[in-house]
Amino acid sequence: MNGSPLELEPLFRIGPVPITEPVITTWAIMALALLFSLLATRRLELVPGKLQAALELVVGAIDHQVEEVVQRDPAPFRPIVGTIFLFILVANWSSLLPGVEPPTARLETDAALALIVLASTAYFGIRQSGVSGYLKSFAQPSWAMIPLNIVEQITRTFSLVVRLFGNIMSGVFVIGIVLSLAGLFVPIPLMALEVLTGAVQAYIFAILGCVFIATAVGGEAASAGANSSSMQGNST
Amino acid sequence: MHIDWWTLGLQTINLLVLVWILSRFLFRPIAGIIRERQAASADLLKKAEVERDKADLEERQAEQDKEEAERARGEVLKSAAKEAEAEKTQILAAARQEADKLRAQAKTDIERLRQAEEARSNRQASELAVEIAAKLFNRLPRNARIGGFVDGLAEAVAKLPERTRAEIGAAGAPVMVKAAQEMSPGEVTALEAALSKVLGCEVAVSVTVDPELIAGLELEAAHASVRNSFAADLDRIANGLTGDGQE
Repeated sequence: MNGSPLELEPLFRIGPVPITEPVITTWAIMALALLFSLLATRRLELVPGKLQAALELVVGAIDHQVEEVVQRDPAPFRPIVGTIFLFILVANWSSLLPGVEPPTARLETDAALALIVLASTAYFGIRQSGVSGYLKSFAQPSWAMIPLNIVEQITRTFSLVVRLFGNIMSGVFVIGIVLSLAGLFVPIPLMALEVLTGAVQAYIFAILGCVFIATAVGGEAASAGANSSSMQGNST
Repeated sequence: MHIDWWTLGLQTINLLVLVWILSRFLFRPIAGIIRERQAASADLLKKAEVERDKADLEERQAEQDKEEAERARGEVLKSAAKEAEAEKTQILAAARQEADKLRAQAKTDIERLRQAEEARSNRQASELAVEIAAKLFNRLPRNARIGGFVDGLAEAVAKLPERTRAEIGAAGAPVMVKAAQEMSPGEVTALEAALSKVLGCEVAVSVTVDPELIAGLELEAAHASVRNSFAADLDRIANGLTGDGQE
């Protein structure tokens, strides 16, 4: 991290499109995800091996969490929530590799994730209640709440971006500063802490996205909203 | 704050593609195999439940069969005991009957043996008595062995029926007399006189000696025999003792 964390230098360009480091890292993660998925699901058996059992455990845990929040079949929400969780987790942990900067330490990646959550909220809300029904949900409990609800949509999406960006970027910066000041092995405890922080942030982002979607489809909105507010406060 | 909109757009596209990749190649197969396993487990559970119900049914059936067998066994045992009791009673009755029969047979045999033994004892006693009496009579004087029997013979002849008496010594035929020993002329004369008296006509006697008589006389006629001898008396006594009863 040579310059401002808010600025990105393109590594190369494809036509007018600048290709930056987070994009390259994301592509690598996508390639690894595709390769891993193909290899891991090549021979699935009813009696699972160790890898299959671990994958089933992960998918089962995601389904369980989604079901608890949404209070309905988790299958439609699994790809979005599961992908957000796994991508953020892998992206955060990619900082452990020498020379790799996690894409989530960049505002654009976190904003992209938040945009996807926002779009998913609208998509599942419309699918559940129709366009008018979804729009009417902004007028709950009264028409006077429309501006506040719109602001809430924006602010909570913005809070997702800021929380993830702030936690991961700060962790990368701290490790970088400590590494530049101290010896080779000094940042290791901080890196271990970063592993924990990365997992927690992935979980928080995925669960909050799930709560927003649940709110849109009429799940446990009130309690989840309250929980999300408190979690936001704690994590930041 | 500076945002690279190109990167934001690319990352958004990248993430949507990643959602598709993971959904298509990871979540769907894994969820599918989980669903398949759950279905297989549910199927197995259903089959196990069916098997358990079947086993329960078989167990109940087995219990019923066992109870039925117990009941049948009890009935067979009861029937066998009843039959055994009846057979025991029958055998006991038969044994008792057989024992009674044997006892009766034994009694009969004992009675017969007793009677035979008694007859043998009587016979021996009579033989012994006759022998004793013969020995005693042999000690009598000789003239007493004949003379003492003349009157007795005459009395016996007198008791014969008229017709029989008339045949004795008819037409001058001698009267056949057996004597225990040789008779003296006087004894012959006395005999002829006694007979003549009871017969009502003069008769002569022809004497033959028979020591078997021991003592006494015996008259032999065509249709009668008068025995007035000691041998005849002993015979009567012996017959009386042995129960033959012929006098």
